[in-house]
Amino acid sequence: MTSSASSASFTSPASRREFLKRAAALSGAGAAGPLALNLAAIGEAAAADATGYKALVCVFLYGGNDYANTVVPYDAASYNLYQAQRAAIALPRASLAGTVLNPATALAGGRQYALAPGLSGLVPIFNGGQMAVMLNIGTLVQPTSKAQYQAGSARLPPKLFSHNDQQSFWQSSSPEGATSGWGGRMGDLFAAANGNATFTCVSVSGRAVFLSGQAAVQYQVTANGSVPLAAIKAPLFGSAACTEALRAMVTAPRTHLFEAEHTRIMKRSIDADLQLTTALAGRTPLATVFPSANGLAAQLAMVARMIDARSSTGAKRQVFFVSIGGFDNHDGILTDHPVLMNQLGPALAAFHAATVEMGVAEHVTTFTGSDFGRTLTTDGDGSDHGWGSMHFVLGGAVRGRAFYGAAPVIANNGPDDVGQGRLLPAISVDQFGATLGRWFGANDSELATVMPDLANFSVRNLGFMA
Amino acid sequence: MHTATLPPDEPATPALVHPDCVSALATPPAARGLASAVLGSVALSACGGGGGDAPAAAPAPAPAAAPGPTPAQAARFLAQASLSGTATETARVQAVGYSHWLNEQMALPRSSTHVEWLRSKGYDDVQYKNGVTGADHMLWRKLLASPDPLRQRVTLALSEIVVVSMVGIAGTAFRQFASAAFVDILEANAFGNWRTLLEQVSTSAAMGGYLSYRGGRKANPVSGSVPDENYARELMQLFSIGLVQLNPDGSARVGNTGQPLETYVQTDVSQLARVFTGWDQDTSVGTADTPDRVIRPMVQIASRHELGDKRMLGAVIPANTDGVQSLRLALDTLMAQSSVAPFISRQLIQRLVTSSPSPAYLARVAGVFNDNGSGVKGDLRAVLRAILLDAEARADRSAADAGFGKLREPLLRFVQWARSFGLSDAGDAWRIGDLSDPATRLGQSPLRAPSVFNFFRPGYVPATPALGGRTVPEFQITTESSVAGYLNFMQTCIGSGVGGLRADYAAWLPLVPDSAGLLAELNLVLAAGQLSAITLAALKTALDTVSTTTAAGVNNRLYAAITLVMASPEYLTLK
Repeated sequence: MTSSASSASFTSPASRREFLKRAAALSGAGAAGPLALNLAAIGEAAAADATGYKALVCVFLYGGNDYANTVVPYDAASYNLYQAQRAAIALPRASLAGTVLNPATALAGGRQYALAPGLSGLVPIFNGGQMAVMLNIGTLVQPTSKAQYQAGSARLPPKLFSHNDQQSFWQSSSPEGATSGWGGRMGDLFAAANGNATFTCVSVSGRAVFLSGQAAVQYQVTANGSVPLAAIKAPLFGSAACTEALRAMVTAPRTHLFEAEHTRIMKRSIDADLQLTTALAGRTPLATVFPSANGLAAQLAMVARMIDARSSTGAKRQVFFVSIGGFDNHDGILTDHPVLMNQLGPALAAFHAATVEMGVAEHVTTFTGSDFGRTLTTDGDGSDHGWGSMHFVLGGAVRGRAFYGAAPVIANNGPDDVGQGRLLPAISVDQFGATLGRWFGANDSELATVMPDLANFSVRNLGFMA
Repeated sequence: MHTATLPPDEPATPALVHPDCVSALATPPAARGLASAVLGSVALSACGGGGGDAPAAAPAPAPAAAPGPTPAQAARFLAQASLSGTATETARVQAVGYSHWLNEQMALPRSSTHVEWLRSKGYDDVQYKNGVTGADHMLWRKLLASPDPLRQRVTLALSEIVVVSMVGIAGTAFRQFASAAFVDILEANAFGNWRTLLEQVSTSAAMGGYLSYRGGRKANPVSGSVPDENYARELMQLFSIGLVQLNPDGSARVGNTGQPLETYVQTDVSQLARVFTGWDQDTSVGTADTPDRVIRPMVQIASRHELGDKRMLGAVIPANTDGVQSLRLALDTLMAQSSVAPFISRQLIQRLVTSSPSPAYLARVAGVFNDNGSGVKGDLRAVLRAILLDAEARADRSAADAGFGKLREPLLRFVQWARSFGLSDAGDAWRIGDLSDPATRLGQSPLRAPSVFNFFRPGYVPATPALGGRTVPEFQITTESSVAGYLNFMQTCIGSGVGGLRADYAAWLPLVPDSAGLLAELNLVLAAGQLSAITLAALKTALDTVSTTTAAGVNNRLYAAITLVMASPEYLTLK
């Protein structure tokens, strides 16, 4: 296990902490805080710290990625344990020889891991020091031992093993129904530093609670960019008057709550399309080739284009969200999971190459997340919903070529799993997000609002960011 | 007492007539005579192409009860209960009243099934074995033209609660037929019983493939494999009891520590998973190159079924109980849980009437779910009547009700457009495909949800503080891209048609020269009269600038008017 306790200390104006206290009080009292006050306070609070450009890119693997066939035990002893627990769905050891990870400091006990063959493009990034692997990370409320789990004496994330709730908990620290996530809460801190707050939290996937803040609003684009509204781009059935009537009607303030919400979205759609289209049009296409027929790669290519256009959009801090689905591999895992890995690996590698090409590799940090890990044991030809998992973090600012967390004992109902190889996480998403947030520029008190369960952990910096 | 808020019931009618088929005979309001009469004939012809199983019969006499609903009230009711509110349809509701209209609709015989239509079109040819070809067409066909709109509306709602997505039916040949048989189950049980629905769904080849228990085996102590938990979990979480124990009004039951009580724990999932071992397709009929085995219910393969006892939710299915009986006992156990009624009732209310029903409304409906008045639990006919006839659904909305209602689903907007303007297909091919791309189409297409969690979640809460934490599911798919994609798509449909099919606007053309009159009729037919006077005035001013001296000008003004109405936030939100 690698672990360090670097904790660069950021200072910030007292007014900023004051705001955060108020924001916390408001959010505790309910979602309906005075928005204008929040926005003003955020503006007064955060602008000072947003020097340079930084972006966080969350790559979410919907469905619950099978950790054991993603980061595979490779040393002979570990591989044999892995193979014994899931003989029917284990990857052949010979297929892993080309993707063995070579950390700067070997894991204890001779433990070795190899990546799924489809992730081969990530191996040089890892071995080159720009990628780290989180071992056994997952949703937690507090540090939890197996004895505590069995005794029911630790607070646990509610609704474990449920897709939608654990997606939500991973993204927001609350189950379904949450209205803000940690990406959006980071956006809250820095939106005022951006020339256009709309481009602070951007999803190139669908809506994800990860990107909603107390004030920050997620903006959604497609892999091809924003969608222009034909009815206002050209006279509606030839009528400029009808186009103007439409524009006025769909953007006018409304008293009914749902009409008002729709109007907000429509107005943002129209306004941002104009700005983004202009910004993107002004850039020379990147030389990096993103793989074709790869939806995730297409989303990441759009993220790269938006980063490339950052001077036009005025962005200093951005949080992006992209996703790929299909990871609920109850069945046919040996067929289906490699296909997904063959999407994920090339997409991440191409995106990393694009950040290098743009000269922003040190300013962009990309990481994976998922609903949960899966069981180590099999249900025939797949695996079932689990808990802890393995995840990646890439970028020039990552202290790479290293593992963080702890290599779990490979077993069914061993010391590190709660049965069937459902891993009891050794490190929490809150610790992970806080480590990223610190790099992003948030200070201790801010991190406490971004990751609400962080206070329950004594280690608040996992040390994987420079 | 849940019946207290319902209007007096009316005797069930024996009428076996399609309202659309007889509605041309109903007398429309004089003021709407022109449009109504012609639209009525459009509906009649659509009826003929939509299954044609309506016997000729005289229309049922309208009861001479209290003053009927106004056109706007009737149109609003249809926006909740039906798929369109043409002048003819609205007139029928006005003539017979809400309750009688529901009885009429529920008494309609089912038209030909999705499976029958696929076969009639030759989609059972082996060349279609490895795909979903024909599935979109069959689904659009019924949504756009079937003459039993209440059943179709409820079927769509059920397909968004008990979700199968056609492309995800893994390891299954003829997925269009598996999908067809599945939707036929929903359609057959739309006015049936939730318990029956669950049993038929649980043995469907579509669900077996989609949630991966088809072919599942009992635990193997040698290999260490254990039963697949996928369906067991989602059956409880999504199709029956949910995650949190609910009071009838939808509030969470809490334990001693104030924490919500969970409905089940992991061991319940593992135990219920044992029930779903041994199921597989029925290969006794047909071959691997025919769709028969994905149409028929799955069967039990005894050697694969777990015969040890199964303990879930406090119940015990004794050892040596066979698979079929284990399933029945498990479903009986789920159905007996107190959370079923509020959990399912709330979702049905959300699909039809309002996104955040009041606790009292939900409690009234859940009460009917628990007991239809004859001691039967899960009677959807009674539940639907309770939802649609409740005072909270029927009361006229005031400006004070700023959180009542729902965002109309994009899919329902499209269907409403097609039905309102007589889109038909003389060739009965309905070559309309997957409309789920949010950037270029609707962001939604029947039986194409991205996962078993549907297009949107019943528990989705928009982040905007002003919404006060309300659940508003449809906003989960309402993004900066999809709002533009929807309107762009509709603009094209309105002006140019869809899938090679075009609307028939003939009945509307005489209205076009009078912009105000045109807007008034569109407001009623599309927006249930919910466009404000301010909006109508602004649109009139704009439309008046479009010259109607040429046929093209008339068309342009009409197309622009429809597009404007369907873009209006007042239309998009059904209050």
